[in-house]
Amino acid sequence: MKTKFDFSRIMKSKITWAVIAELMILLVCLIIRPEFFQISYQESTGMLYGSLIDILNRSSEITIIALGMTLVIALAGTDLSVGALVALSGAMALKLMRWDMSEFPTAGDYSITPMFWVILVALGICALFGSFNGLMIARFGMQPIIATLVLMVAGRGVAQIITNGRQMTTNFAAFKFISQGSVLFLPMPIIITVVIFILMSLLTRKTAFGMFVESVGINPNASRVSGLRSSLIIFTAYLITGLLSGVSGLIYASRIGQNDSNNAGINYELDAILAVVIGGTSMSGGKFSLTGTVIGSIIIRTIITFVYYFGVAAEATMVFRALIVVVVIVLQSEPVREFMGKRRTMRKVAMGGELHG
Amino acid sequence: MPDKRILEMKGIEIQFPGVKALDKVDFDLIAGEVHALLGENGAGKSTLIKCLTGVHHMDKGQILYDGKEITPTSPQAAIAMGISTVFQEINLCQNLTVAENIFVGRQPMKRGKRIDWKAINRRAEELLLRFNIHIDVTRPLDYYSTGIQQMVSIARAVDVRAKILILDEPTSSLDEKEVERLFDVMRDLKKTGMGIIFITHFLDQVFAISDRMTVLRNGHLVGNFLTDQISKIELVRQMIGKDMDVIFALKRPTVAEGAPETLKVENLGIAGRVENVSFSLRKGELIGFAGLLGSGRTETAEMVFGVTRADHGAIEINEKPARIRIPVDAIQHKMAFCPEDRKRDGIIGDLSVRENIALVVQSRRGALKPMSPKEQLDLADKYITMLGIATPDADKKVGELSGGNQQKVILARWMATQPEILILDEPTRGIDVGAKAEIQRLMLELCGQGVSVLFISSELDEILRCSNRVIVMRDRCKAGELPGETSRQEDILQVIAEGSSLEEDA
Repeated sequence: MKTKFDFSRIMKSKITWAVIAELMILLVCLIIRPEFFQISYQESTGMLYGSLIDILNRSSEITIIALGMTLVIALAGTDLSVGALVALSGAMALKLMRWDMSEFPTAGDYSITPMFWVILVALGICALFGSFNGLMIARFGMQPIIATLVLMVAGRGVAQIITNGRQMTTNFAAFKFISQGSVLFLPMPIIITVVIFILMSLLTRKTAFGMFVESVGINPNASRVSGLRSSLIIFTAYLITGLLSGVSGLIYASRIGQNDSNNAGINYELDAILAVVIGGTSMSGGKFSLTGTVIGSIIIRTIITFVYYFGVAAEATMVFRALIVVVVIVLQSEPVREFMGKRRTMRKVAMGGELHG
Repeated sequence: MPDKRILEMKGIEIQFPGVKALDKVDFDLIAGEVHALLGENGAGKSTLIKCLTGVHHMDKGQILYDGKEITPTSPQAAIAMGISTVFQEINLCQNLTVAENIFVGRQPMKRGKRIDWKAINRRAEELLLRFNIHIDVTRPLDYYSTGIQQMVSIARAVDVRAKILILDEPTSSLDEKEVERLFDVMRDLKKTGMGIIFITHFLDQVFAISDRMTVLRNGHLVGNFLTDQISKIELVRQMIGKDMDVIFALKRPTVAEGAPETLKVENLGIAGRVENVSFSLRKGELIGFAGLLGSGRTETAEMVFGVTRADHGAIEINEKPARIRIPVDAIQHKMAFCPEDRKRDGIIGDLSVRENIALVVQSRRGALKPMSPKEQLDLADKYITMLGIATPDADKKVGELSGGNQQKVILARWMATQPEILILDEPTRGIDVGAKAEIQRLMLELCGQGVSVLFISSELDEILRCSNRVIVMRDRCKAGELPGETSRQEDILQVIAEGSSLEEDA
């Protein structure tokens, strides 16, 4: 009975409209080119291929960050440093694998550091920077935008310093596996995203952490009086987001096989924030939905894929993307939902049904 | 001059989520009268005013203004029609000058669309002279005291050339002289044919200035009385209604002989906020905190609970020293605190009743030991039944409940932690009479079960009815301690008043 109630609430939520928006975009794709939906199996790689798989695969970087960003936004904050941390994580990984290019001038299938340490250190440094954000905001009361702006700028600088400003390339198979490998016929990034989604869901819904986050996000004063350690909660959220940016950075670096301090993770903070907002979490904090965030991120990727697939002129892509995003957000806006809700209610009343409420 | 009705409101009904805020209320106003609108907190006075000024929209009813039907859609529209309102909180810009504040939005212009500063300042001065206020109108508003600021906001409202002036609790921040001045102005305005609606909690002021009064209770119209034909006692009876019997049936707790001291506060304070407060509380005892707003009652409660951190003094709990720096510490010591500002410090509006009730229990267990939804639901249902919380189910958002029910949810949240010391800061403010009586009953019941209660209230009769001892605060210090049983309101007022001359320039 309980789940039934939640279901009806979800139907009235922004997520519904996000799903509808996604379906509409896909419908357009279907009408224009049905082969968009083709999925094929390639025996040599043991992986499924197709535009839909591609959308999921390519949305991973943003989805993973956005899952952390959801908590941050639910706490009425923002994290602008995630893009920079993506670059940092890649830089750290490449540095550890190749250390000094002069000794190993050619990129090959090797790493001078065990893979375990590459991942651990890269993620560790991002978690550290994330906790720096958390410390600034939770302990010293800085505005989230300002505090994370520091690392947004400095993070790429640190990445440059780590690699002495050089771009390094790797073909180390274990590292490439992060993006190219597959498990259960699916590309590795999708698997990683699913695992992180499950972990985050467990963290927020199987412990009381999610409720605490919402409580602090809705009313920090009351939460404090109720004995919540809001600084600890806020700190944790930024730490998690930093860590997840690191994961995203590893996927990205593995995909392109190099570190790229200038371009890795560019505008990721904006896409991640957008994904969270499309997913129904309000920028002013409060209730959040991880599922919504995933859908939001997929929408963003669908739009990008759509633009490439249908060959929208390169110079028009940004404008085109923006247009679709505006449509999605307007669809979700209060007046539209209210209007649609009213129509539904009226129809229900006309049918002699019960008022929805 | 025959009575000319400038305003008639008929059969006004307003439905808020979960509560009928106004139910078939009639109200009328005659030109040149002061009409007091009375009722307890939550009776619907403000709602009626907000309906008239276009903040809320009525579901049913009719408003006739000067004989014509109107439907105010926004406060601006109401002002344009000549209905001006002065609210209790000062809605002015602190950093603009007095003159700018009076004329902002309707500045006199010179030719060429330039603001005529000279005219602004001159007219502002003239206007304030009518109120017998001689101040430099080119100074920023925040240079002046709250009393003056309130007068400026009244001046602004009057200058809008209103036919109806609504004064919503205008006197709460004014001292006696300023109130007298305001009354003079009101009498002047009456003569010009303006109708004034006056909302206040001070019954003496009602009898001093009003011609007629309308009493509301729980969103219903109780009656309409001429001031010189009703006594104060009768008026109070009308305002409180039959629930008075319930309230009178309450008995103050009996403290067992030799009951242990659960809380002892010694010279506790924060420099500049509240200083050197000492008191003790025994098991099952209820002490009341009385005093004017800003006298240090709330500050003391917040300090004891760790909401603000004391910088001197000591607290002992169960005869052992306790360090309380943040609320978490207080909760560890089995304390509970229902804050004064329910919206700001109490409810988590967007979370459900269930989550709100489970919140503190859960925060004490820590995030890693979550209560299952079932456990939460059982806990919530238990208290929903016990406290009679009016909600369709435990999953309703708390923000959608009425004030009284929100208060009960907060109480439930703390009762669920089985506290030994309960601090209640104005728990009955802004809720209807029925809920009020229930909360008092509950509070006394808890005392009977051995909980020590610290009860803060502005309503002296409430304090005297329930407390074993009364602590009176004044000027951010403890001013005295009185026995609850044998003291009268006058005794408390005496203690409050003794030092009031010191407060002149505060």
